[in-house]
Amino acid sequence: MARVLRHRGPDGFGLGLGQGAGFVSTRLAIFDIPGGWQPIQTSPGGSLIVYNGEVYNHPELRAELRDDGIDCRTLTDTEVVLRLLDRDGLGALERLNGQFAFAWWQPAARRLTLVRDRFGVRPLHYALAADGTIVFASEAKGLFASGEVAAEPDLLGIDEVFTLWAPRAPRTAFRGVHQLRPGSVLIWEQGRIVAERTWWRPEYGARHETAAELAQLMQDSVRLRMRADVPVGTYLSGGLDSSLITALACEASGHQLRTFSVAFRDPQYDERGHQERVAAALCTDHHVVEIGPGDIAQAFRDVVWHAETPIIRTAPVPMYLLARATREHGITVVATGEGADELYWGYDLFKEVALRQAALEDPSALERLDELYPYFAGSSARRGPGWRRFFLEAGPADDPLFSHQTRIAATAAVKAFYRTEVAAQLLTDDPLDRLRAELPEAFGSWSALERAAYLELRTLLEPCLLAAQADRVAMAHGVEGRYPFLDHRVFEQSVRVPASGKLDGLREKVVLRELAARVLPADIATRTKQPYRAPEVAPFYEDGAPEWVEERLSATALQATGIFDEQRVAGLVRRCRAGRATSVREGMALVGVLSTQVWHEQFCGPSSDTYPVETGIPEIRLDAEVDQATRRGR
Amino acid sequence: MKHSQRIGVAVRDEIRAFIQDTFLYMRPDLELQDDDNLMGLGVIDSLGFVELVEEVQSRYAIAIDDIEITEENLGSVSAIVRFIGAKRRS
Repeated sequence: MARVLRHRGPDGFGLGLGQGAGFVSTRLAIFDIPGGWQPIQTSPGGSLIVYNGEVYNHPELRAELRDDGIDCRTLTDTEVVLRLLDRDGLGALERLNGQFAFAWWQPAARRLTLVRDRFGVRPLHYALAADGTIVFASEAKGLFASGEVAAEPDLLGIDEVFTLWAPRAPRTAFRGVHQLRPGSVLIWEQGRIVAERTWWRPEYGARHETAAELAQLMQDSVRLRMRADVPVGTYLSGGLDSSLITALACEASGHQLRTFSVAFRDPQYDERGHQERVAAALCTDHHVVEIGPGDIAQAFRDVVWHAETPIIRTAPVPMYLLARATREHGITVVATGEGADELYWGYDLFKEVALRQAALEDPSALERLDELYPYFAGSSARRGPGWRRFFLEAGPADDPLFSHQTRIAATAAVKAFYRTEVAAQLLTDDPLDRLRAELPEAFGSWSALERAAYLELRTLLEPCLLAAQADRVAMAHGVEGRYPFLDHRVFEQSVRVPASGKLDGLREKVVLRELAARVLPADIATRTKQPYRAPEVAPFYEDGAPEWVEERLSATALQATGIFDEQRVAGLVRRCRAGRATSVREGMALVGVLSTQVWHEQFCGPSSDTYPVETGIPEIRLDAEVDQATRRGR
Repeated sequence: MKHSQRIGVAVRDEIRAFIQDTFLYMRPDLELQDDDNLMGLGVIDSLGFVELVEEVQSRYAIAIDDIEITEENLGSVSAIVRFIGAKRRS
């Protein structure tokens, strides 16, 4: 297991073996470099933790423990979490400010508790074997390496990718492999799961309250996330959010900050001018990774291997290459702007919802839809009635998923490529019905934009952006992302900000712009959001594209996988080759089909055990005595 | 066959080829007739309409007003051919 997860913790391994229980940790050393090896135990035979992530307020919590007569042996946040759990039980979770996924083992009760952070920044997968044995790991590939679980496709999980862009916890693309839901705990005792409950969930609806001072809160959030025993850099996209984080990180750092950016050779995706402007204004040590279509094709299979799911956009690939470059420059921790668009309504989706809501009273509001999604529906400067009709007909206004109907409708284009028998199998199990059934009780009392924000957190941010596009591609190179906007205090502040402080007409993220105006050049603070995108079709059909693309999309390979129809895919391939597949929907279809084919071969195909070739021998750095009866040995 | 009829046939073949290439490759089971309702059969949805309008405007160098974008004008291959013919004559 350690071997296949080595990328997440390249600095070493810790192993704890006991009677009927075993724990392994791969370590990315950030706090207490010499002393922070895991698993950590309170005492020989005492409770134990294996832990991935960071609790940023650990120094304050350690001081509190000390005042209570509890001393920590290490300077790690890991031990602070363990000691707090031992003292306060799961009530301690509310005290933790950070991003974490961990397993807490209480040997006397033979109780295993799995915990995931509020927003699901850190991943945690688990599976139950037939005899009740539970296996867990940060990534699904760790479960397969345990020998307890086989990798088989779950059509319902795959269908969620082509509905909502990613499988939604607890589902994954693999049958029998589950993800712990964000903000939840799972308790396993004596061979069975005895409880699974939510310890935090996003709540909306608080209005007319005084919002905490955003500037002070963001400064504090960034300050906490600069804590590390290694240097911390930032990702700089050139947009408002990452520029603001970078500016605040510069203020919090005593050294010249290192910043890292993706630039594209194709100008329609490129933001380097804005990046350079911010880097120059803030005097950062700036590094740029320039991405061409060939780079995307070359790294695509590695990204799918790390994402562990089919994907519908190539956008994670440049982030993978950026993390690699960041690591090569000696930086293993980066702060980024993730979360701002969900908290402060930055996406065009929020504007669309506002306009569609307004159009229920006044249809002329729909005319402004022409200003949204500039990259969508070809190159047409004037979209006309067909475009507006698409939004009007996406679904009924009383559907709880009203805000996401158009995204769902556009994404469903990929489903047109399913084999007939696959489409028939999926007819009786609608992922949208499952989502509707799981919405919180208070959902209906929230405003349309709050409902949209909740759905963005739960269907886009956690399962897609924080997973395939952030954690997986960064940890592929042992780089940790940190997200100041996803401090739970910032979220709670964002809920209290009046709606007009988030979206005023079609001006997004109003209060963030006001803050940015104090610390950034005016043109950056006022800049309209440019969606982060990467080329979808060109990388696989330009000169020099890799041969595996044709092989993976061949009729033989499609038949072997058994998900997509070879005749329809052949039509798509023909259009891609001819350069006519220019729509967003065809781009999604190509990436969706191709990534499914690659994913299936890597994990479920007959030669799946050969990818990737990992020859490193784990170096065991620590043994932990898991229970009293354990024989200890190296 | 009159000259205008020959042009009509050519336009029909081009429109059919466009629809075949852009939309129908996903419906290998469907044999499209000239009078079939493109939206009713699910061959084209409203976003597909945006692509169709763009194609007609650029290929035949005609300007299409918003009010002309109707199923009556663009709802079937036959309707599109008639509409293009009328626009060219106007």
